[in-house]
Parts: sequence; C-alpha cells; structure tokens
Amino acid sequence: MRIRSPKDFWSGLCFIAIAVAFMALATRYRFGTAEKMGPGFFPIMVGILQAGLGAILLGRSFVLDGPPVERGRLPPLAITVVAVVLFGLALDWLGLAAAIAVLVVVGAYADRSARLVESLALAVALVFFSVVMFVWILGLPLRVWPDWWT
Amino acid sequence: MELLSNLGLGLSVALGWQNLIYCFVGCFLGTLVGVLPGIGPVATVAMLLPFTFGLGPTPALIMLAGIYYGAQYGGSTTAILVNIPGESSSVVTTLDGHQMARQGRAGPALGIAAIGSFAAGCIATLVIALFAPPLAELALKFSPAEYFSLMVFGLVAAIVLARGSLIKALAMVCLGLLLGMIGTDVNSGVIRFAFGQPELADGLGFVAIAMAFFGMADVVMNLEQPGQSGVYTSHIGRVLPTLDDLKTSFWSIVRGTALGSILGILPGGGALLASFAAYMFEKKVAKHPRRFGEGDIRGVAAPESANNAGAQTSFIPMLTLGIPSNPTMALMIGAMMIQGIAPGPQVMTDRPELFWGLIASMWLGNLMLLVLNLPLVGLWVRLLKVPYRLLFPSIFVFCCIGVYTVDTKIFDVYELAALTAVGYLLIKLDCEPAPLILGFVLGPLMEENLRRAMMIAQGDASVFFSRPISAGFLIAAVLLMAAIAAPTLRAKREEVLQE
Repeated sequence: MRIRSPKDFWSGLCFIAIAVAFMALATRYRFGTAEKMGPGFFPIMVGILQAGLGAILLGRSFVLDGPPVERGRLPPLAITVVAVVLFGLALDWLGLAAAIAVLVVVGAYADRSARLVESLALAVALVFFSVVMFVWILGLPLRVWPDWWT
Repeated sequence: MELLSNLGLGLSVALGWQNLIYCFVGCFLGTLVGVLPGIGPVATVAMLLPFTFGLGPTPALIMLAGIYYGAQYGGSTTAILVNIPGESSSVVTTLDGHQMARQGRAGPALGIAAIGSFAAGCIATLVIALFAPPLAELALKFSPAEYFSLMVFGLVAAIVLARGSLIKALAMVCLGLLLGMIGTDVNSGVIRFAFGQPELADGLGFVAIAMAFFGMADVVMNLEQPGQSGVYTSHIGRVLPTLDDLKTSFWSIVRGTALGSILGILPGGGALLASFAAYMFEKKVAKHPRRFGEGDIRGVAAPESANNAGAQTSFIPMLTLGIPSNPTMALMIGAMMIQGIAPGPQVMTDRPELFWGLIASMWLGNLMLLVLNLPLVGLWVRLLKVPYRLLFPSIFVFCCIGVYTVDTKIFDVYELAALTAVGYLLIKLDCEPAPLILGFVLGPLMEENLRRAMMIAQGDASVFFSRPISAGFLIAAVLLMAAIAAPTLRAKREEVLQE
C-alpha cells in the first residue's frame, strides 16, 4: 500500500490519536445514561465521531491522490515558540519591559534577514509604546520593572 | 414605531461622547492594523482585544465592532493597492480593484469601495434593527432540543465555506468541541482533561487559541515562505469617483447590499460568501461581462458593498441566538463572556442599551470610516511599506501582552506558545482553523443543551425529531451536507473558492 495523499494520511492519524487520547481520559469520568449524562458522555461521543472522520481521511489517503506536505523549515517555528516562552519567563521574573525586549530581539531571528541593531531599536520602541499605551493609558495590571528595581 | 424608539435609544447611547470616541478609536485602529499586509480581521480583533478590557461592556463591544469593520475596510485598501487581499472576503476585490489601480484609477476604486460600504452599512443596520427583535423573540421560546439542533445546523453551515476538505473541516469542529471540554464541567463540577493543572480548570483560553491560530501560526507560515511582496501603486489620484462612475455602480451597490444582507444572516455566510456571490451575480447581469477582471468599477462596488453588508448582518445570529457564524463573531462572543455577558436572545431584553447602542454605533462607525478614510488614504499607503521584519515582532508583542492580560496568568503565555505549534501543524496539513474555533466556542453550550434536552425527554433521543423547529434544523443540516457532497455542487464550490 502506498500513501497517495500524505496530508490526508497525517491529518487523519493526528485526529485519531487525539480522539483516542481524549476518550481514554474520558473513561475516568462517569459516563451516565442517555437521560442523565455524566461528564464522560459527550467527550466519548465526540471522540468517536472524530476518530471516525480521521479513519475516513486515513483510508482515503491510500485511494485518492493529494499534494505532498510542503517541507517546512524548523527555525521560524522553533524560534517563535522559544521567544514566547522566554516572554513568559521574563514577565514573571523581570517585568514587562525586559519581557518585550527579549521577545522582540529573540523573535526577530525567526526571519533570516534579522539585524541586531534594528531589532534592538524596535524593542526600545515597542517597550515605550506598550508601557505608555497599556500601563499608563489603559491601566492594565502589568508590572513594568522587576521588583528589586523599584 | 417600536423600531424608531429602539433606534432612538441606540443613537442616544452611541452618541454619548464616550462611546463616540471608542467607536472612532476602534475604526481608526481597525483600519490601521487591517491595512498592514498579512493581518486579517480575526487577528486584528484578537490583538486589539486588550484595548477594551478596561471598558464597560457597551463601549467595549462598540469599539470591537469598529475594529472589525475598520479592519475589513483596511483589507480592501490593500487588495486594491497591493493586490494582496488582507482577508479572504476582499479576494474578489483584487480582481478589478487592482486592475483599476494599475490603470491609474486607484482613487476612484478606493472611493467607490468606501461609498459602497457606507451605503451597504446603512441598509444592513436597518436590516438588523428589523430582523433581530423577532428572531430573538422566537429564540426565547427555544427549548434545549431546538438549541442543540440549531447549533448542529450552525456548525454544519459554517464549514460549507471552509476551504479544502469537508471531512477535515468536520474533524476540526470535533477537535474544537473536545478542546472546549477542557476544564470544569458545569453540570457535575468535575474538572476534565486538565492533567492536574489548576490553571486548566477554567479551560483553555479562548483568546490564546484565536491568537495562536490566526496570529502567530500565520506569521510563522509567512516567515517560512518569504518573498511575497506585491506591486505597490503609489499614485492614487482623485479619490472621489466621477458622476459617471457613480451612475455605473449604483445598481451594483444596491444588488451587492441586498445579496450581502441576506447571506450575512445565514450561519457560515458572512462577508466571504457575500462578496463572492455578489461578484458572480454582477458578472451574470452585466451587459458586457467581458470587462470584468480588467478594471470594471462594478467589480469593486458590488463585492465591497456585499462584504460590508454581510459583515454587519452576521451580527444578527451572534446577538440574537448567541451563535457565531464566523471566527470574528466567535471572538465577539468571547469578548462578551470576558465582559460577563452571556450571549443569547436575552441580551436584547436584558440590556437594550448594549444591543441598540451597538447597532446604532455601526451606522455611525460606517460614516466615520467614510469621512476618515478617504482623506487619510495617503497615510494608509505609507503603512503598506512597513517591512515585514519590523511588523512581525510587533505582532508577537501584541499577541503576548493580549493573552496575558485576559486573566493576568503567565500560564496563558505558555499556552500560546504550545498552541502556536499546534496551529502551525494543522495549517501545514491543510486543516483550516476556523471550524475549530467555532466548535470550541459552541462546545460547552452544545453539551449543556444536549444534556438538558435528553433529561427533559427522559433519555428519548427522538425529541430532536419530534419537535418541528428542531427537526427542521437537523433536516436542513443534513440537506446541506448532502448538497455539498454531491459532485456537481462540489465542483462548483471548489471553483468559487478557487477563483
């Protein structure tokens, strides 16, 4: 058997895997009856439906031709995810200003044409704008500087 | 006469100086971000959501609505000038709009788009005022069974327009439903699928999902395939269309508005379907259809009127039934819940000032867009030149701050990071995120109504077919599915969506 539609194949597999995982977890919750449904009822029903749809996709991928999955490049995604996680860590420990700076400077490298000087300048501009807009004007509860600073 | 007094109430709310300012700010910000290439209305609304957190419900919704149609308008500007549609509903505008710009008629193209949108907005506002109250009244009589069937119908109808495979779209709805079940189950108090994480007890953040799928994952996709820079047209010329232009496009605007208003009400309709249908229709009725695609002003006037009318009337199911017909409306529902308002038919009776104020503000907002945007076109054009490498880190910043400020929880930021990866994977596999968002928003409501309906019927599932309205919805859903699955219609749908 040859996979003729890789996108259908992989998405079908993902849908089945996720559905099975949800259903496995849902068996821990009371299923109940049709009249008095427990918290496990709806997830299992939806899970069955989703797994079924996934199976159709999977089966179809051996019959119908489809486009291949375009080769992705890992850096943009990886750098973006890392930058966002760093934003979270920095926001927790160092406050908003540092968090934005880290996010911008690291995140900028998700693009190949990033230049350090430029992204530093952008970081300064965005820190300034965000503090003025979100903290001063809108009064959102954001800590701008680390606690030991002030 | 109730209509007039309602609209009067709405106007008195919308004309309050505070609401007027928020409406203006919303339109302005929406256009500003909407013009930026590569940012659609969903991402715009999601990113600007934190701007409304400090406000009361009425000004917050007025501002969000302003952001929405501002973004929509901004999308048309990019479509005409750069040939990159800011969003799917302005795809057709690029056909004739960009041709006009190439012929040195960018000004009139932008002008007619604004005038058409304004005219359509005025009429669509009246349509909402006329149709929303009876619909809400009807919806108040719905029992859980009807509600459940309505949601099934709404979800099925909404995926009709998802691009690509229907089965994938359905599976994405299911995935959305499953993700929506994470967190505390309202009926039993059991915390489901939380892996012992207390942060997940409230469920996945709606804003995090919307931003990850429509903002961050989109950016990552764009970064992977660089080099999509359009042809800039710096020469705009006179913005005001000539009298001749107006004469040519008058009936196109009327037809576009009518089609848009009707299609917008249907779940799954909204702006996208409206603009496509209006363009096709215009081509059919035109005496010289060959001129379409070569810079015919009617090819701009009709879809632009239609998408604005459709965008506006898609508020009807959202406001009266609490059912989102597209991802933007799902965001609006999310915003309402953040403000502590349960969307549904009771909004109109419980909070008339919110309901009518919002509707009246749409009319004012359209007027603002008209007076604001025509003179400011020069500024928007300059925005188009902002390079993407400066733009995308800014998108990151707004998404991260936005996600964090919903609940001031750091956990939500990590959630955003994880969901970005998931969203990227799904888009890579050609799974559109829109059906997932709709499923996610409707999931908890669907489950609750299903449970209640079955409880009332003592476990007899035939209740969904024995009640006429409920059966009607389900039959409509089945017919719709059958219709799309039928080969001829399927080919047609693909053709329409491809074009």
